[in-house]
Amino acid sequence: MQGLLHTEQVLLADLAKGKREATEQIYNQHYPVITKWIQNNGGSEDDAADVYQEAMVILYEKSQDENFRLSCKIGTYLFAIGKHLWYKKLNRQQQMPASLPDDAENDGRLDWAYEDDVNAHRERELYYSQLNVALEQLGEPCSSLLKAFYQQDKSMQEIAEQFGYTNTDNAKTQKYKCLARLRKLFYKG
Amino acid sequence: MLTNQDIWQLAEGYVQGTLATHELNALKDKLSADENFANEFNECVNLVRSLNGAAAHTQYKNMLGSIRQSRKTVVTPTRTISLKAYYWRTAAIAAGMALLTSLTTYKVVQNNNDKMASQYSVLRRDLEKYKHSQNQIIKNLKEQQSKPAAEVRYTGTGFALSNDGFLVTNYHVIDGADSFYIQNREGRYFKADVVGFDKESDIAVLKVDDKKFRFGKTEVPYTFADDKRKLGTRIYTLGFPQDEVVYNEGYISAKNGYNGDPAQYQLEIPAYPGQSGAPIMDARGNILAMITGKQTESEGTTYAVSSASVMKLIQSLPKDAGLHMPKANRMSHMTLEQQIDKLEYYTCSIKVYKK
Repeated sequence: MQGLLHTEQVLLADLAKGKREATEQIYNQHYPVITKWIQNNGGSEDDAADVYQEAMVILYEKSQDENFRLSCKIGTYLFAIGKHLWYKKLNRQQQMPASLPDDAENDGRLDWAYEDDVNAHRERELYYSQLNVALEQLGEPCSSLLKAFYQQDKSMQEIAEQFGYTNTDNAKTQKYKCLARLRKLFYKG
Repeated sequence: MLTNQDIWQLAEGYVQGTLATHELNALKDKLSADENFANEFNECVNLVRSLNGAAAHTQYKNMLGSIRQSRKTVVTPTRTISLKAYYWRTAAIAAGMALLTSLTTYKVVQNNNDKMASQYSVLRRDLEKYKHSQNQIIKNLKEQQSKPAAEVRYTGTGFALSNDGFLVTNYHVIDGADSFYIQNREGRYFKADVVGFDKESDIAVLKVDDKKFRFGKTEVPYTFADDKRKLGTRIYTLGFPQDEVVYNEGYISAKNGYNGDPAQYQLEIPAYPGQSGAPIMDARGNILAMITGKQTESEGTTYAVSSASVMKLIQSLPKDAGLHMPKANRMSHMTLEQQIDKLEYYTCSIKVYKK
């Protein structure tokens, strides 16, 4: 019966590590309710899936914090974030007045209580996109080399072969040079 | 003096946690002694962390994208058959063919059904052979006043839909019965009536006659799953294969039930006569299905009609039936033992009387 007692904490710990199984379980468990709600509130199927995916990303980001602890159930959290994102999106499209959702009486202030998480998410997205821009501006071979190491998880051995360095030490020296250039560009730019 | 490369190497080692204790101590000393170095080092660490973080972030998003994609492909394709009017002659031939095919299909289906009866056994318990069991005799003496004179012929299991006496069980449990009583946790009998049933999916909704009857102190603590769960999902059940409630556990072994019936699950869980109508629960207090039958050929293969089919029948009931389904799940945070303890109040034995 151990498998059954998989608590939400265990699931979340696995999700934090980026494990597919846990992510898939959480994703599939809450998908129907939340996407149906968005569709009932004027969203298309794709809108609903987009918003739901973003909510999952926020849950993942939050789980990266060592002190992370959910004060409610995963489903409740995802639903609150999903509602939040959807209302924000509607506001941006000016399809509805910029007021709080009128079902606030049912769900209380919970809906907007995660404002911090959503804002942190937006900042993080911006930060990462700036980092990606800096990576692009770095030029070759630095741009490709750093991407190969960090994004494609390639070993220094593979990178040395791919970029034509005689040994891994040379490739490492080049990587550190590239990092130094990226640092200059990113923090002083 | 540290070179550019050394700092990066240190920063990488620091982020990955691969620095040896003496290296870490030397680093700490240097950080507190040299402010310039500390600033520089911090920036390096930040950048390495950001690069790692951004990569993990992108990877996670890609994974979500693929999960989303796989959900899409899981959706069973619907087949649209368009009917077009061609020349009447062709139509006539087609009609003739169709008649022939439907007759043969009917025949095949009939054959299958015969086969089905032999492989599929319903799980109501025939009490004929238990008649003289000691236990039963004691029970009979105790319940003399509240129990009708006739002998119990079959027993099954049922579980509450609402605290005020609505419950669900298999249609085959109550099929052809003169009357049926439920027996609650305290062992008391209550007469019940049929509110609605669906013979094909083998579901019946009953209502206890006594207006004052309540299953437990609170509203029904579980909710009904609205979609089918994945293969391998851990499940458990409470039922009455004997006079005492019995716990069993297992997992979902196939998404479709007997002969590929999409309204059912196939489960790997032991089931015995008397457990027909027992609830199938997941770890979080959701009703996933209701046991309906088992494969006679193999031990442990059990079929259960999905909660969605139960809901379908409930929704088709007339509004004035007065059935209010549970809205909140109060079992999701409980340990298994607590869940079982709670569920016991809302599960009951059904005694069926027949002439």
